[in-house]
Amino acid sequence: MAARPRNLQEARDRSRNNAELAWWVFMRVSGLFLVFLVFAHVFVNNIAINVATVDYNYVATRLAKPSVKVFDTFLLGLAMLHGVNGLRVVIGDNIRRPGLRFWVQVVLIVVSVGIFVAGVMTLWAFSYREMGDAIRDLTSGH
Amino acid sequence: MYRGREGQWAYFLHRITGVALVLYLMLHVFDISLVMYGPDGPFNAFLMFYHQWPFRIGLVLVIAAVVYHALNGLRIILLDFTTWGIRYQRVMWYTVLGVTTVIGVPVLVKILPEIFGGA
Ligand code: HEM
Repeated sequence: MAARPRNLQEARDRSRNNAELAWWVFMRVSGLFLVFLVFAHVFVNNIAINVATVDYNYVATRLAKPSVKVFDTFLLGLAMLHGVNGLRVVIGDNIRRPGLRFWVQVVLIVVSVGIFVAGVMTLWAFSYREMGDAIRDLTSGH
Repeated sequence: MYRGREGQWAYFLHRITGVALVLYLMLHVFDISLVMYGPDGPFNAFLMFYHQWPFRIGLVLVIAAVVYHALNGLRIILLDFTTWGIRYQRVMWYTVLGVTTVIGVPVLVKILPEIFGGA
């Protein structure tokens, strides 16, 4: 494992280019925001309620709220950038064969972009109504 | 690598939890995106599958990973941006473990009965 730069100066001296330095700073800044975003998300959806009660209706009701859409957009964007960049670094440290490393990173980016787009569509491309059991029963005819 | 054995454990755990969290995040965004298919789509069936107890234990581990990674992330930020951080890295790591436990125990007390109490 490559040793992590220990402070801003070291990161600056060590980084091959400005992009690596920017990512180094980004990991720390996004981390600060994620503490708040992730803890709030886990508290609301996992601790305040029993997760076993989560179903379509619960999610659709939440996603119908603009405040949830905005909050989740920040959470999705920052967590994906932070997590995928972290994974890119881990792959760089552990896969030594340059050709293999390149293709694994290509697959990572392609899969990540796909998942990110699905996430953004889920948040913004649909208007959810509180379709409860009544409507589900009506449409499926029992 | 930080000096001393604790630093290496801290680093290793940070890396493992980080990787586990992104992989979980991807699966999670994918399964939530199934709500796009509407109330009659595959979403509910998928969730019922994940409501089985082994996955719920898995979710408790995800929460533990988040808490450790977040607190140790703050520790890394202090190491990198303060002059005194490195000097206290070991004390801060034990603090991270302590606070993770202090947050983790009430969470377990809340969630484990939901999983095993038939709730
Ligand atoms: C909750 C608040 C969080 C904080 C404070 C935080 C902080 C950090 C920091 C400081 C690093 C080190 C970056 C570097 O070495 O340059 C890091 C790495 C990483 N984080 Fe986070 N993070 C948080 C949440 C997350 C989440 C939600 C994920 C998953 C999506 C994640 C995934 C990763 C990964 C994969 C790495 C790379 C591990 C490594 O290089 O050893 N983190 N995090």
